[in-house]
Amino acid sequence: MNNLSITNVSKTYSNGVRALKNVSLEISAGMFGLLGPNGAGKSSLMRTIATLQEPDGGSVKLGELDVLTQKQEVRKMLGYLPQEFGVYPKISAEVLLDHLAVLKGLTNAGERREVVKALLHKTNLYEARKKNLGGYSGGMKQRFGIAQALLANPKLIIVDEPTAGLDPAERNRFHNVLCEVGENAIVILSTHIVEDVKELCTQMAIINKGEVLLTGSPQEAIKEVQGKIYRKIIYKSELDAYKKEHEVISERLLQGKPVIHIYSEGDPGQGFEPVEAELSDVYFSRIFGDR
Amino acid sequence: MLYEIFRFEIQYRSRRPDTYIYFFILFFFSVIAVDFLFEGELHPLHRNAPLIIARTMGIVSALFMMVVSMIMGVAVLRDFDHQMESLIFVNPITKKDYLLGRFLGSFVVLVLIFSGLPLGMIVGDIMPWHKANELSAFELWHYLQPFLYLVLPTLFFGGALFFISGALSRKLIVVYTQGFFFLMAYLVAMNLAVKNDDLFVTALIEPFTFQTIRIVTAFWTMAERNSMMVPMDDVLLYNRLLWCAIGVGALIIGYYAFNFQVVRDKASKKRRQRAGRGAGTPLASNTLKEIPAVTVRAGIRADLIQLLHHALFNFRFIVKSIPFWAIVLCGMCILIITPFNLGTVYGVDSYPTTDILVGELMENTILFFLAIILFYSGELVWQERDARANGIYDALPVSDTVNLTGKFIGLILSYVVLIVAMILAGIGYQTFSGYYHYELDVYFIGFFGEIFPFLFFLTIVSFFFQVLVNHKFLAHLIVVAFVFASSIMLQVTGFNHGLYTFAAGDLGRYSAMNGYGHFLEPYLWFKLYWLAFSTLLFIVAIILSVRGTETRLLKRWKLSRPRLTRPLLQVSGVSVIVFLLTGGFIFYNTNILNSYLPEPAQNALRADYERTLKRYKNMPQPKIVDVNLHIDLFPYERDYTIEGYYVLANRHNQAINEIHIQKLPNGQVALEYLDMEGGATLNNKYEPFSYYIYELNHPLHPGDSLKMAFRQTFTTTGFTENSDTHVVYNGTFFDNSHLPTLGYNEDIELDDDHVRRELGLAPKVRSAKIDDPIAVLDGKAGGDGEEINFEMVIRTDTSQTAIVPGYLKKEWKEGSRRYFHYKMDKSMSNFYSVVSARYEVLKDYWVPSNDALGDKVDLEIYYHKGHEYNLERMMDGMKKSLDYYSKHFGPYQYRQLRILESTLYKNRAQSFPNTIPFSEGMGFILDINDQEDIDMAFYVTAHEVAHQWWGHQVNPANVQGMAMLSETLSQYAALMVFRETFPEAQVEQLLKLQRESYLKGRSRERSREMPLALVESGQDYIHYGKGLINMHTLMDYISEDSVNNALRRFLTDWNGFQKPLPRYPTTRDLLGCFRRVTPDSLQYVIKDLFERITIYKLKTNEATYERTNAGQYHVKLSLEAQKYSTDSLGNESALAISDWIDIGIYAGEELIYQKKHFITGEHTELEITVNQKPTRAGIDPLHKLIDRKPEDNLHQVTLLQQPDNP
Repeated sequence: MNNLSITNVSKTYSNGVRALKNVSLEISAGMFGLLGPNGAGKSSLMRTIATLQEPDGGSVKLGELDVLTQKQEVRKMLGYLPQEFGVYPKISAEVLLDHLAVLKGLTNAGERREVVKALLHKTNLYEARKKNLGGYSGGMKQRFGIAQALLANPKLIIVDEPTAGLDPAERNRFHNVLCEVGENAIVILSTHIVEDVKELCTQMAIINKGEVLLTGSPQEAIKEVQGKIYRKIIYKSELDAYKKEHEVISERLLQGKPVIHIYSEGDPGQGFEPVEAELSDVYFSRIFGDR
Repeated sequence: MLYEIFRFEIQYRSRRPDTYIYFFILFFFSVIAVDFLFEGELHPLHRNAPLIIARTMGIVSALFMMVVSMIMGVAVLRDFDHQMESLIFVNPITKKDYLLGRFLGSFVVLVLIFSGLPLGMIVGDIMPWHKANELSAFELWHYLQPFLYLVLPTLFFGGALFFISGALSRKLIVVYTQGFFFLMAYLVAMNLAVKNDDLFVTALIEPFTFQTIRIVTAFWTMAERNSMMVPMDDVLLYNRLLWCAIGVGALIIGYYAFNFQVVRDKASKKRRQRAGRGAGTPLASNTLKEIPAVTVRAGIRADLIQLLHHALFNFRFIVKSIPFWAIVLCGMCILIITPFNLGTVYGVDSYPTTDILVGELMENTILFFLAIILFYSGELVWQERDARANGIYDALPVSDTVNLTGKFIGLILSYVVLIVAMILAGIGYQTFSGYYHYELDVYFIGFFGEIFPFLFFLTIVSFFFQVLVNHKFLAHLIVVAFVFASSIMLQVTGFNHGLYTFAAGDLGRYSAMNGYGHFLEPYLWFKLYWLAFSTLLFIVAIILSVRGTETRLLKRWKLSRPRLTRPLLQVSGVSVIVFLLTGGFIFYNTNILNSYLPEPAQNALRADYERTLKRYKNMPQPKIVDVNLHIDLFPYERDYTIEGYYVLANRHNQAINEIHIQKLPNGQVALEYLDMEGGATLNNKYEPFSYYIYELNHPLHPGDSLKMAFRQTFTTTGFTENSDTHVVYNGTFFDNSHLPTLGYNEDIELDDDHVRRELGLAPKVRSAKIDDPIAVLDGKAGGDGEEINFEMVIRTDTSQTAIVPGYLKKEWKEGSRRYFHYKMDKSMSNFYSVVSARYEVLKDYWVPSNDALGDKVDLEIYYHKGHEYNLERMMDGMKKSLDYYSKHFGPYQYRQLRILESTLYKNRAQSFPNTIPFSEGMGFILDINDQEDIDMAFYVTAHEVAHQWWGHQVNPANVQGMAMLSETLSQYAALMVFRETFPEAQVEQLLKLQRESYLKGRSRERSREMPLALVESGQDYIHYGKGLINMHTLMDYISEDSVNNALRRFLTDWNGFQKPLPRYPTTRDLLGCFRRVTPDSLQYVIKDLFERITIYKLKTNEATYERTNAGQYHVKLSLEAQKYSTDSLGNESALAISDWIDIGIYAGEELIYQKKHFITGEHTELEITVNQKPTRAGIDPLHKLIDRKPEDNLHQVTLLQQPDNP
């Protein structure tokens, strides 16, 4: 299995936004999570890997293939689910999937029929296969998206924010499908939801403002902060004071009261209690922390 | 609140760049609009004449309906598009405020955008390069009036309809397609006009008014056109009111139908259903099934399968979409609603032959095809992006070529379906009309050979611009501009070589006799050339197509290199080679083997000819008196050789030292030798003009003659850009103008005064003055020789019959050649035709009815097999004409009379001595209904036969009025025969058509209108149209017998074929004969009818009746009568009226009273008693006098209301 190596990729849009700054990543087979807040540059990176966008500099290699010049070759191995996508509303899932399969190179009609059928089953759309896509719910459409990405046994699967807007049941279903195909392909999952990565990925990177802040496995990342995360329930008025004093990495509400997590090398006292570190703590400490 | 919404709308629009872009597009287009729309048609009309301004505004507002839809259609729609509706509708605003505010706001913006139109036109008119004599004085109101009265209502109803359709449908696509509604209304209006005499309905429903204006001003003279404003009254006013009412109606309906809620009932139901399924479906065990392994294939086979699949997918996408059906439905409605114009001659239809139907189907549907091309090339190129599915599609491994080509083929397939449907419709129509000769080959060549390549190429161009510009709407505009520029601009400028006229190639007109003839081969070469070009264009489109996030053209260009794959490169290479080879081959054929001169160069050469050689115009030249030729015609090679001699005689009283020969200036014609008897030296310094001077070794003395022997060839090698249609496979027809002529030839001079002025020439002298003492020495042949002895042997292919004037003395075969020897036994006009075709023949004979022992005349009609429909009518026409003319004018001079069917390349009938070539498109395939139609086959036959007297017995002098002596008298003669044979109603119909043709013709006169007796060459509307009307009126005033007596006298005096004449006759001689048979009281009629342009304004203001005690009806008429004489530019000056004019009273359809009354003042009261109850009454009921508004001559007669006497 080939690795995907991304080296020093940069991109600045014509409006001056620097979407990617010298991004370098090494991605091997399995599920790879690309975690970052909205606007971090995830989609830019995904599009670049999916042959749809030219970086200003740097290189992207899939094994021996140069993704930036040998686009057609890469596309033959690619399954791509864009962050936002539409479908032709007046066509049924089966027909459009079949059409996309042809365009992917599945020109044998019998084979195509089988794979389309299997994917429709897999994504639980088989019952609704004759319905026009215009009548699909958001979740169904998203599942259709993954079905098309999985046509033609892709070796490189890129799914960009696939679970945004899905209800928990849909999300689970989606994870199951993804997991299965992730066994012998490179699957890059970009998301801003920590749980997605936690549940699925063996490798991950955190990216913010176009820069890679962390790479590695989720376990290692958690290990690194283990024992350094503390929490406390406070009053809202105290928040600013705490922020000045400590490295507050997250604040959320627990039954209406603010709970803050801080990162601290030693016990901060003041009624903070240590907590079991989670991936979200890693994430927030990287995004909002000073490190 | 209303104001707030209004203000918001204007503020919103004022910040949108579109608003300014539209304004500037309109403004700049308007600057050049007049030049663009009226190029070459203006002079002597001023470019800023009020009429031109008004029509331009009408046309521009129609062309820019798209802008109206973009502004008004989205006014409400954009809330839905941007999914803002929830945020807007939740506010406390009323539906009325919301809709009205948006409408008014957008409308104000729209009007401001369209103010670019008058502003642009004003700027265009004050540009410094216009010549002062092309402009009228500037007058702001001339621009404002049409803008206020014509453009604003158009914007209003257009805006209202687009606004409402956008608001109700909430779909941009509906707004788009709705533009077809206007196109439909326009086309329906236009098509109604084709066959209808009454243009009121057309004028009423034409939405943009530029045709309405044309109809309203149809009879305006040049002077009026340059000065008068289009009056806002009558039908134009009703038109505007009608369309405003439609706009208001749309707004009202829209208001009530608009649902001021976010989700409409129907939609919400759907959503509920949708929610019901899908969600919550239990996880089926199937989800755990393995995904089977598949093989991804690449290579040519895979590409082809992908291509086919993609093409069919896109084809289905098109035929399943609503706009496609909207367009198709509109097209079908057009075909159903509007009658076909079946080669109509004077309101008579032809049989629905396949070639006519194909032409009509194409003409009526081409706009819809263009619409499909324009719309769907955009839709297909933008398909993925519009559906936001581009992320998925762009990352597919399908090649750029397969993707774009698949879309292209899909679109092409939709044309194929439509074309097949049209062919079926055509066959259905023929079957329904009882015409069963289907000619599938003509259908297929017509559609797939002629229109399909054009659609194909244009689709490529459209794809190209969509990709290049990457802005759907802008690309639409550019494609429209491209079509205009490529088809119109190049034609207008005269640079029209098929090598640079996009998608060029002329298949010629289909002729039943000659098929597509020799046009087919060059046509295919041109198409191959453009196919190669288009392929290159398409490849550029492929490698520049947007894939991924990069949209800037420059960047796409930089990225295109790796997309130019090997196969693409190979195809490009082949295309370049084919393009160059075919281009070279075409150039070799048209410009090296043959010669091609663009029109400007031709014009320059012709101007040069005139400047250099005009001085020889009056140089004494001998006359041709004998013609003895052998013609060897090879119709299937399109070659001929003519060898033989002329005898030239010196009729002057001075010796002739040099003889000037004009060869036909045509590259295919060559003079191999030309020998003058007695020897001559050739001076060929005027070779570029094909003008040769032979300096005689011995002068030709007065009364002497010499033989001029020559050999001329016509050779076809390769093909030419503008194909000759004289020598063709089947239906060769040329006349003696193909042969060498003597002296300076005025026919070569430029005709168009505008062109002449640009080349520094004075306006063309169309005819010599009637009193020109030199010109009256020439007859209609114009100096070449008038009376000749004629003998000809002609050889042609065995399959064909060759016919020239004279009698067939001998006919024989030698090998594959067929010989005909013709000789005329008496002096005849120097005007002969050479015809050869595969003919059937119908024979008959005629014996003078007034002289049963007289010589019989053989009658023959040579016709194309299958065109038997009207032979009897023509035969009947010949017999009745010979009867009437020989009885009233004088005996027929020949023993034989023949009609020959000729191809429609020259769509007319002509009369040569005892020989009448008659075009297949004129009378042979007319489907004449005896109840309703004028029998044009009969009438045209009668007209041409009359030329055997008026032209071939009387040869008019080559001066002003010449056409009156030949054409007008033939019109009169034919009318007299027609009157004897057909009912009065058809005679009136014929007169009406001619009256209109005169009134329309004079309004289009670009030089000066002449009185009938001074008619100049090219003034058909006078010598045909007015000639027929005025001769009929003369006959009505002085009686048929008097006119015929005068004509008989004129003929006896001036038959130059029986005795030598000192000069040729003019209309003065004819009018002299008329005056002699006219009573003094009516002498003024001759002057009014022939010597000046007289226009009457006759009107009945009031008509009442009372019942008398005797049971009779006492009619009181209040009449208005004015009489004007018009100068050559149409300026009228009043004449005192003291004329005899018909007064008529109708009871129902019957004219119960008609009598001439002496009218002496502008207002006349008349009292007439009749026996039947009158319905209509008035002055000049049968329109014998020229009146531009004949419809007010008659008035309903009402019962007089008695005042109540106390």
